[in-house]
Amino acid sequence: MEEQMKEWPEPFSTTGGKTSMLVTMQEQVKEWLDQDKVDLFLGYKMVQKHPLPHCFTKDNLDEVDELIAGQARYSLEKIATKIAAERPEIKIGLLARDCNQRALNVLYVWNQLNPDNLETINVNCCPSKLKEHGDCSYLEPEQVGSFKKMIGIDNIIEVKAAEEFSQEDRFNRWMYEFQKCLKCYGCRNICPVCFCEECSLEHTDLIATGSIPPEVPIFHLVRAVHMGGRCIDCGLCEDTCPVDIPLRLLYRKVNETVEDVFGYVTGTNADQSPFNLLGDEVTLKIKPI
Amino acid sequence: MDYKIIPSICSYCGCGCGVLFQVFDGKLVGTLPMKTHLVNEGKLCIKGWNLHEHVVSDKRLKSPMLKKDGNLQETTWDEAIQTTADKLKAIIQKHGPDSVGVLASAKVTNEENYLAQKFTRAAIGTNNVDHCARL
Repeated sequence: MEEQMKEWPEPFSTTGGKTSMLVTMQEQVKEWLDQDKVDLFLGYKMVQKHPLPHCFTKDNLDEVDELIAGQARYSLEKIATKIAAERPEIKIGLLARDCNQRALNVLYVWNQLNPDNLETINVNCCPSKLKEHGDCSYLEPEQVGSFKKMIGIDNIIEVKAAEEFSQEDRFNRWMYEFQKCLKCYGCRNICPVCFCEECSLEHTDLIATGSIPPEVPIFHLVRAVHMGGRCIDCGLCEDTCPVDIPLRLLYRKVNETVEDVFGYVTGTNADQSPFNLLGDEVTLKIKPI
Repeated sequence: MDYKIIPSICSYCGCGCGVLFQVFDGKLVGTLPMKTHLVNEGKLCIKGWNLHEHVVSDKRLKSPMLKKDGNLQETTWDEAIQTTADKLKAIIQKHGPDSVGVLASAKVTNEENYLAQKFTRAAIGTNNVDHCARL
């Protein structure tokens, strides 16, 4: 088992020692915790040879020496929203890659986090439409097999390339992808900007229960519509999909429409979203549909 | 405020997916897939995603149940094991060892499954042993 373990290199560390950037980051976090600028800091730590999210606190300052940027990426901001929901007064520090930062902007817009209670340390990150250069090699797209390329959709193609298929071909390809769905709800569960207390995908009047795959393409299109103005193109949904449905491509298309119609590029700033009709007072408590 | 991430292995089937338990102030509140785990590489099925629910479920049995006077009632492990042993012995004596079958589980360890088949073959004396993953 030991030999099979994949090495997860650190963006900041070189073999045999820490780089100055990593040390600076650790010192900054220690200072924040020590001076009560933040009550806790969400970063990564190696546990049993796996880079795992970890909550660093003032009570255990020495542990901050083990803080790493982490090659694997988790939605730390989603963890932050859970902590903030329980204890709104807590000041949270967060290790933020670009995708985390974009998610934070959306969470500020929708009042799921208070920007006054959040401090971030920014690290360089994964390639995306919004940033070309990235150090997060973990997110280098996996190669897609020839069968999927032939009858399904290559996960790494751009929206434009996907639109070049004829309408019928495109429909068949998407249906092939959707009917693989196991209805695991992983895409929703892992999504940093999915925070509704009541989810349409679990509403029995909209989505029938008791069969796999779920009703296609409705199941995926309902989620796609809800991603308009929300999706920050982090790719966590596609990462966690057990059957490799090209979800990121689908949501990119939805957000392209949002950009065309409203001129709103999701996640780029914490200004109001064109979809936030209720203004600052919106609460997302359970309400009857 | 105490927030912890605890790595573990999914107990639902024999695959052994890596999971992370989210523990908030000592209470298990969520499950995440472990992204660097060799088996599942950051993916989970719906059972794995909801792994924490059966741990904290109100419906979870916390002690053995024994049917007395037609109703299931909570009992001690000593009484439950003694009753089971007595009944098994009686059945084997009356109908022979092949009247008993044992179903092992993917949710327990290899060692426990080994013990289950050893018990079936050596103590009960039958080859009627199978596994839930074959059902």
